[in-house]
Amino acid sequence: MKLPRSLSAFLACLFLLGPVAALRAADAPAKFDGYTFVKTVGAVSEYTLESNGLTVLLLPEHSAPVITFQVTYRVGSRNEVTGTTGATHLLEHLMFKGSVNYNKEKQNGFDQALDPIGASNNATTYLDRTNYYEIFGTEHLPMIVAMEADRMRGLLLRESDRQPEMTVVRNEFERGENSPFQALIKEIFAAAYVAHPYHHNTIGWRSDIEKVSIEKLREFYDTFYWPDNATVTVVGDFQPTATLALIQKSYGAITRAPKPIPQVYTEEPEQSGPRRVVVKRAGQLGVVGLAHKIPAATHADFPAIALFSAILADGKNSRLYKTITDQSLSTGVQNAPFAMHDPSLHFLFIPLAPGATHDAVEKIALEQIEKIKTGGVTAAEIQAAVAKSLADSAFQRDGTSAIAAAINETIAAGDWTLYYNYDEAMKKVTPAEVQRVAQKYFNVDQSTTGWFIPLVPGAAKK
Amino acid sequence: MKAILTALVFAAGLAGAASAQIATRVQRTTIAGVDVMIYPTGVKDVVTIKGSLPAGDALAGDGNAAIPSLTGMLLDQGTTKQDKFAIAEKLESVGASINFSVGQQLSEVSAKCLAKDVPLVIGLIAEQLRHPALTAEEFEKAKAQFAGQLQRSLESTDARAGEAFARAVYSPGHPNRVASTEEYLAALPKATLAEVKAFHAKYYGPARFTLVLVGDVDAPAIQKEISAGFTGWTGGVDYPHPAKSTGTDAARDQTVFMADKTSISVTLGQASGLRYSDPDYQALRVGTAILGSGFTGRLMGQVRDVEGLTYGIGSRLANDSLADGDWRITATFAPSKLDQGLVSTRRELNKWFAQGATDKEVANRKTNLIGTFKVGLATTDGMAGSLLTSVQRGFTPAWLDDYPRQINSLTTAQVNGAIKKHLDPEKMVLVKAGTVTGAK
Repeated sequence: MKLPRSLSAFLACLFLLGPVAALRAADAPAKFDGYTFVKTVGAVSEYTLESNGLTVLLLPEHSAPVITFQVTYRVGSRNEVTGTTGATHLLEHLMFKGSVNYNKEKQNGFDQALDPIGASNNATTYLDRTNYYEIFGTEHLPMIVAMEADRMRGLLLRESDRQPEMTVVRNEFERGENSPFQALIKEIFAAAYVAHPYHHNTIGWRSDIEKVSIEKLREFYDTFYWPDNATVTVVGDFQPTATLALIQKSYGAITRAPKPIPQVYTEEPEQSGPRRVVVKRAGQLGVVGLAHKIPAATHADFPAIALFSAILADGKNSRLYKTITDQSLSTGVQNAPFAMHDPSLHFLFIPLAPGATHDAVEKIALEQIEKIKTGGVTAAEIQAAVAKSLADSAFQRDGTSAIAAAINETIAAGDWTLYYNYDEAMKKVTPAEVQRVAQKYFNVDQSTTGWFIPLVPGAAKK
Repeated sequence: MKAILTALVFAAGLAGAASAQIATRVQRTTIAGVDVMIYPTGVKDVVTIKGSLPAGDALAGDGNAAIPSLTGMLLDQGTTKQDKFAIAEKLESVGASINFSVGQQLSEVSAKCLAKDVPLVIGLIAEQLRHPALTAEEFEKAKAQFAGQLQRSLESTDARAGEAFARAVYSPGHPNRVASTEEYLAALPKATLAEVKAFHAKYYGPARFTLVLVGDVDAPAIQKEISAGFTGWTGGVDYPHPAKSTGTDAARDQTVFMADKTSISVTLGQASGLRYSDPDYQALRVGTAILGSGFTGRLMGQVRDVEGLTYGIGSRLANDSLADGDWRITATFAPSKLDQGLVSTRRELNKWFAQGATDKEVANRKTNLIGTFKVGLATTDGMAGSLLTSVQRGFTPAWLDDYPRQINSLTTAQVNGAIKKHLDPEKMVLVKAGTVTGAK
């Protein structure tokens, strides 16, 4: 469920890496003074605004008179440290509280201006990025570009806005804590990462949400919200040359960041033994979460890992459906290779069916992983997993917002061309490669296992 | 002001363009008794399929409450011709998917596939709807799955609040009155396969089965496949035509206590007495959106943005496609903010009810509703869903073309009149689900 102005909940992001595979020829790249044309891959053309380094991706798609305009800032919760966890997300909320030229007082803030025209606008924050987007009728592009550009450097960022918004975000945190799944995922990430900032959840720790100051948020804004740390993506019914002109008009006067954008250099130390966490709360049924360290989304092994994941747990013919779900041990196994900028986790979530035990289900899951490591997978399994991925890619071409959302995740991962190249790489994966990545990454010593144990309401916690 | 004027032009322009397109582009035919709508769009390769027939939980009537859902769950567990793994293999090998779901009134199918695979998917949908295996083994597995899902729902504050609200505002026998989770859990062990078979035989048929296909479609080929798949299918029932809810004597302030919850789900509302097709409906819908739709709704604007009491609050009309539905405000509050949140919510509700909406609010909301409606039609999923629900609501596809005109024709007086006529804050039911201080 997509919630308004929210960070992307972990579970909602499990399947975001499903880039579009259409390799139709793009139109010839537009030429425009002040831009450097970088490259065209598939139907997307990349430009750099020379005056400030802003990256621009254009994907004309004329099937409906609709455009999605998106600005992705390459800052997420991985850029936070102790005391500022959740700052990226809180700042995202405050980005809707008004900028110099567009704000509630002038009756032309994002909501005041866009709601009446039937345009939707929202934002999400995640580990590696923050994105703002609008979906609207074609003729409103000039207004949207001007509004987004204004808040890139003209955000008002007032303490009087932070105070009520902090409690809004805190209720968002509280809603997440209501879910045993989300609580378990947070604990698993926190155990799996001891050094790297993927340790903490994007929404942050409660005390940081409550206490981070407006000065700290301003510092965050002044560090990361610059054109040379952002990518503008336009998808839909627009003319490239005119759109480049619009973007230049609104963004061209903004300077580059005065200092280099800080880069995250912390690397997670190699894990040398299994880790376990347990969450006990009031609830009805248990959950087993099983996470393994995997490389970054741009790593050459990632397509084989995704296929391993699908063969293991996606669909009725998957190994875990047959051995767990179909045996009435789970209400449905979920798999998720988290495709992130830095080395991340592959998750299996196994919500237990009534009567099933954590021990038994975990044992079966590990046995099935071991079977792939020792016995490999079949060509038919690979073929089905690739077909599903390619079809998913086609499905994601259905609408400008879906396309923009998929591109957003590839920008966050560090290479937007994954949007096209990922499927091409997947087609080349062999059964031997799936077996190899299973052996390389899916080892107990690099795993973190979490159990949600439901407590009978009213009983004392053990 | 400039933005508002521009918006009006935009909405009117889109409406004009669409009115010449949707109804005329829909190819609607009856094939083997099935109401079929096919709509081509500019998307490449992708086809979205949606269908529904009246076989929801409400049709259990006085029988076992679990039977309709169990029947729906068994549709994709194999047919008399092949087992579920063979079906899954066929679908997975081409990346296609077919999903069945059962709601309170309808059993629905949704599918996505590449254009080349439409014949396969139509054939399998027909086979699964018409000839489910309904074996004892799969029946027992479905019961276990359903029990797990029900127990899991007991962990959700939203689900618990929604269930208590529906039981408080709909009278017994009304199709929107849901069985409680406890009732489902009690019914489940007693459910028999014979009951499932009987339910399937009675309710699964073409009588009110509508099938919509949108996207990169080849209409003649699709019509041929549907004929091949569904010819000879009989049975099914018409949509129910229930009497309006007569209300209940349920407490107007209820707490569903749940331990260890950091956020409380709140539902406040009443039975609306309106169906979507009723004359006052759109006027009340515009008024309701002014109170609680999106960030410019009054509730979000005040209770969230100004007072910081909640992450989400909104108002809407619901459950009114096939029967008279309800009007509700939903929100979440931290336990420590609950009392304050409820005071603010009621204040905004009472102010809205007493003073009504302004001309400017009505004008803005009309363009907003028309604009979001049009944007929603820009995907195959959105168009397929809109075509299907238009039929469920008793309209033809031409209704989609006429929608902007209907909305634009509404006056402020009509909006405020509908609010006063159909709602009464004094009689609304309040449900709080979560770790409510002082409750247990």
